[in-house]
Amino acid sequence: MNPLESLFNPKSISLIGAAHTEAKFGGIILKNLLRFKGKVYPVNPNYTHLMGLKAYPSVEELPESVDLSIIIRPALEVPEILKAHKDKAKCVIIISSGFAEIGEKDRQDEILHIARELNIRILGPNCIGIYNPYQRLDTLFLSYERLKRPKKGNIAVVSQSGAILSCLFGAIRKANIGLSRAIHYGNAVDIDESDIYEYLANNDETRVVISYIESVREGRKFIDRARLLSEKKPLLILKSGKSSRGQVAAYSHTGRLAGRYEVFHSILRQFHIKEVEDFDELMDAAKAISYQKPSPGQRVLILTNGGGSGVLAADECMRQKLEVTPLPEKSLKILKPLFPSFCVLNNPLDLTAHARDEDYLTALHELKEDYDGFVVISLTGVTGITERFIDLLKDFKISTPKPIVSHIAYDSISRKLTLLLEKIGIPVYPSPERAVRGLKALLNPSPC
Amino acid sequence: MVFLEHEVKRLLKEAGISVPKGLFVSKEKAEQLSTIVDLSYPLVAKVSSTKISSKSNVQGVRIGLKNACELKKAVTELLQIKDAEGVLLEEMAPQGLEVIVGGIEDELFGPVVMFGLGGIFVELFKDVAFALAPLTEEEALWLIQQVKGYQLLEGYRGRPSVDKDTLLKIIVTISTFIATGLIKEIDLNPIALYPEGAMVLDAKMLVNAQIGNLRPNNSNTNSP
Repeated sequence: MNPLESLFNPKSISLIGAAHTEAKFGGIILKNLLRFKGKVYPVNPNYTHLMGLKAYPSVEELPESVDLSIIIRPALEVPEILKAHKDKAKCVIIISSGFAEIGEKDRQDEILHIARELNIRILGPNCIGIYNPYQRLDTLFLSYERLKRPKKGNIAVVSQSGAILSCLFGAIRKANIGLSRAIHYGNAVDIDESDIYEYLANNDETRVVISYIESVREGRKFIDRARLLSEKKPLLILKSGKSSRGQVAAYSHTGRLAGRYEVFHSILRQFHIKEVEDFDELMDAAKAISYQKPSPGQRVLILTNGGGSGVLAADECMRQKLEVTPLPEKSLKILKPLFPSFCVLNNPLDLTAHARDEDYLTALHELKEDYDGFVVISLTGVTGITERFIDLLKDFKISTPKPIVSHIAYDSISRKLTLLLEKIGIPVYPSPERAVRGLKALLNPSPC
Repeated sequence: MVFLEHEVKRLLKEAGISVPKGLFVSKEKAEQLSTIVDLSYPLVAKVSSTKISSKSNVQGVRIGLKNACELKKAVTELLQIKDAEGVLLEEMAPQGLEVIVGGIEDELFGPVVMFGLGGIFVELFKDVAFALAPLTEEEALWLIQQVKGYQLLEGYRGRPSVDKDTLLKIIVTISTFIATGLIKEIDLNPIALYPEGAMVLDAKMLVNAQIGNLRPNNSNTNSP
């Protein structure tokens, strides 16, 4: 069993520093823990009961040893609290700050030393912990009123920043996708991103991993675990701090050019670990791979009922090094008699404002074998597009494992179509370009 | 601990990497210059010092020396540069496509090898790529394909293509050097690539202090 199982799937939890009111972080966490499916033991010497749960005066007096203990007490008290956990917990989340991030490295080393002696794993310190919707486990000191949680899903978020983690919650909800796990590991005195990758590689509820990184602790271990993880499921890395350039005093030219980020970026490429440019690309890609499975190839068919939208999509394909190859001769011969003469039988294939639901499907089925991925653009301001569009696309999707993404514009029935499309597993994007960027995450763009 | 250029080049030569035919003249032996006969003009003369990291910054390079008279003048001037320990004389190499191959001990990833196209491509466009060392030849090929100017190696606008096999061998060799963990930084800059073969025109190396005593004592020549 992976030692992190007691962190992500505990049966019992104690909360050291539980409070009676949501005015305190210890109260918010306790309230969030009331949803947890297992046992919760609040620890606070001043209360016999907290939020309806029996409270305990100290760690020593807990009725049983727990899988996970959450500590939210001032940093100075943490070493003693940790010592009290001897044989009382398998893993602790130290939410408290006041360690290496403010220069108190000795204090941080001390807690690691204690934990190693007691054979306890640490997440944190200086972290907001984890969210596992499958167990309704939530250690975040952010209330549900202020920060809504995403639904259950297949994306795991591994973040070095608590702020970015909370921003991703909003973005994931907006993208209509769901979470399997969310982890903020803070100072990573013990458990770091590599350990988490190792756990997620074998976690069945997780199909996609997105990871926000500012710095890595051990380069080679990180590469090794990231590589093993990305061989099993898509891993998207968003690195910040790209512009800082270290090593300016290097002796050699090579050394001067080796800013931290340049080396990081190159080595990710060397091991085929996917890196995204920015937050938006992270979300567009995560959405696509949360909905669909990646597939080889790079030839894209753009199908639209609005010329301009198709051209924007084609431009983005070029930028993303995806091929927008012309329609094959044999298909042209078949399609020509089926469409009005003013349709532009090219790629993008513009069905024009006269397009009806079944026109899309005629084209898609005819061209299914000649392309590796499909961008379906539909402007719903015209009358030819109806809800039947969804049923027809569903049939098409069942007929091929190839990726399909969509951009649905205008307001009339677009919101409803969007919901229905995503229900059948086709991600919908707010612009033609973003739809293409989503598709790129599912295909293999040309390397040159 | 810094090696002198001719010492690095001898190491490279022993590893099968071509360097210009040359001769190191120490400050003490400078008077014997007239007896040097086995280098053919034109020559290039470069100041040599473990304390000088950029020769061009101290005007420490003379190129296109056509005869003994020009050579003597150049050597005399170069030896007057502060910290000069000697002068490296080398036969001028033909023009080629210039690239850089380097290795560093990265703080985070450990031994890392670098490839870039020389001149403005590196200076202006920072068009370089890195990889974890050591590399296989296949991985070295991947590395050189990562730079935007890769096409120049394949031959572009009438230029001939360069000897990629030799380049890959150089990268693999440097990657194994840096992977030993003994070297902090190594820089072959530039390497002239030709349709057949390649020549390392300048080389620098910084090694870990504890292995500094590996520096060769018998260091008066890197010619055959």
